[in-house]
Amino acid sequence: MSTQGGVQYSKIAEIKGPLVVVDGVDSAAFDELVEIQTTGGEKRLGKVLEVGNGKAIVQVFEGTTGLSVSGTSAKFMGKVMEMPVSEEVLGRVFDGLGRPIDGLPDPIASKFLDINGEPMNPEQREYPRDFIQTGVSVIDGMLTLVRGQKLPIFSGSGMSHNILAAQIARQAAVVGTTDEFAVVFAAIGVQYSEAEYFKRSLEESGALKRSVLFLNLADDPAIERIITPRVALTVAEYLAYDLGMHVLVILTDMTNYAEALREISAAREEVPGRKGYPGYLYTDLSTIYERAGRLHGRKGSVTQMPILTMPSDDITHPIPDLTGYITEGQIVLGRDLFRQGVYPPVNILMSLSRIMKDGIGEGRTRADHQEVSNQNYDAYSRSQEVRALAGIVGKAGLTGVDLKYLEVGDSFEKDFLTQAVDENRTIEETLSLQWKVVSLLPKNELTKIKDKFIDQYYKER
Amino acid sequence: MGSDSALEQTVEKIIHNTEEQILSNLKDALKSSQDALSNSHVSLEQEYDRIISEGKKEAEKLEKQIIGNADLDSRNKQLVLIEESIEKVFDKAIKKIQDADRNSDYSKLISSMLEESIRTIGTPDIIIQTNSKDKSVVQSLLSKFPGATLSNDVIDCLGGIKVQSKDGTMKFDNTIDARLERLKPLIRKDIASKFGR
Repeated sequence: MSTQGGVQYSKIAEIKGPLVVVDGVDSAAFDELVEIQTTGGEKRLGKVLEVGNGKAIVQVFEGTTGLSVSGTSAKFMGKVMEMPVSEEVLGRVFDGLGRPIDGLPDPIASKFLDINGEPMNPEQREYPRDFIQTGVSVIDGMLTLVRGQKLPIFSGSGMSHNILAAQIARQAAVVGTTDEFAVVFAAIGVQYSEAEYFKRSLEESGALKRSVLFLNLADDPAIERIITPRVALTVAEYLAYDLGMHVLVILTDMTNYAEALREISAAREEVPGRKGYPGYLYTDLSTIYERAGRLHGRKGSVTQMPILTMPSDDITHPIPDLTGYITEGQIVLGRDLFRQGVYPPVNILMSLSRIMKDGIGEGRTRADHQEVSNQNYDAYSRSQEVRALAGIVGKAGLTGVDLKYLEVGDSFEKDFLTQAVDENRTIEETLSLQWKVVSLLPKNELTKIKDKFIDQYYKER
Repeated sequence: MGSDSALEQTVEKIIHNTEEQILSNLKDALKSSQDALSNSHVSLEQEYDRIISEGKKEAEKLEKQIIGNADLDSRNKQLVLIEESIEKVFDKAIKKIQDADRNSDYSKLISSMLEESIRTIGTPDIIIQTNSKDKSVVQSLLSKFPGATLSNDVIDCLGGIKVQSKDGTMKFDNTIDARLERLKPLIRKDIASKFGR
């Protein structure tokens, strides 16, 4: 932490959207923290985006509403934005800039860390392995989350992604180890009612003790959203690599983050890319998502679960599209299932956890996990085809096996997928349900599972 | 007489057959009710196990919730108490600084503050502001800093100086208050460590 004070400049050349152009600046640095002071003495934080020709462009996190060219001054702090971290941050609630909003004092810091983090040396990265149990069957059973993985949830406006996020935050745990587990929850541009729900949900379940909440509300300045995921990840990295915890970071909603980025880009008059988002959206998103992982010789891990709402449910929209390039799979929520009242409405046919295979199986979950999961995937996919066929020829035109697949589709959605909001299923319960679904099929249809597992777990229904 | 005996035999036979039929039916009924009883016993046991296991899960959840919230509450109360103690230490320190003698050591401190301010602002042409207590100290040092002038206005602070460039575009706050504010997070950590944190 720098203890040097900064020079205060009072020559403001221009205020443009969320940006303030300060004149006569000769020694500012890129990303330097700036304190903007209004005529009324109010202080706001910002950071340097550009320096040159005696000018500095400052992005004001809390917005420029109420600022005027005369009377406003900018103090260059001589340091980048830092987050004070210590074990005491667990159980605390902060705003989007990392300031406490739970009525308790600032945490006493063990360290002050640059919120931009340090890039992980690729050589030092350890391949993500080991299972994180979320207690949500469809995730644990078919889209398994692995420690150190980045697995986003692609949702749509109005769907139950926030309820799912809160459930995962409450229930997530590492099984078969005594290692400590923590959840860092960053709400980006969420409504007040949603923020209250997250907070209450963690408090009532007793999970707040091992969680850190960062809440940037919908009525908070949009620019603050640029900072929220970064402060959250800084805390997560500290808990993981300094304290040796396994940390699950839930970032919701990354679409609001990208909107804020677009706002700044427009104010800087940059050449817009797809749908007006800046051309560097991919690079910028990667600076967040790539902060997940494990390091050789360090005990902890940072696992990320970013949640984003796809505008018009469009999976080809730049935000999910670019996110999908960086992350290791995706969990897609389906509008049809949501309309049918299925919770969680995960469309498994569009979802994938790319490194699931390395986190499951004997010694991690159970030896039959991969095979029974593949069989469920195959059977559900076939049931969708049969459903479509039944829509045309009617049930009377289907064969006996086709009818069995129809039953499998219904059972998959009713028995396996559907789950109560407060229902925390163990991996054994989840695998039993998967066997229950495929046991509707005759044995000769189970082509993805070894005979020894069929003999052990198959129960004809 | 012969026909009566045949009739009696037939009636006997019918009665016997009916008796056998009834007995067999009774046996079947007994067997099926015994089966039903033993089956319901199994399903009852399963239901019992399910209720017990759900109850256990619920109890574990409640235990986790109660313990988690109690732990957090006590930790938070501890944080508040530590903060109150830190504030008390700060208040005492501020009082001590306020009452400090403006001796030669203090003059050296102001001199180094002036040097630092000029270096930071990047020009020796500055206007200095200070509080009424430190005015004489600053005045005595002015000869060492050509280009610096002392403002007639006094500022409200514990000590130290505020400087600004003569064109008014740059300011640097080097008061003790500003320094304390900058260093507060580090000082808090040091104080807290004395309380075993």
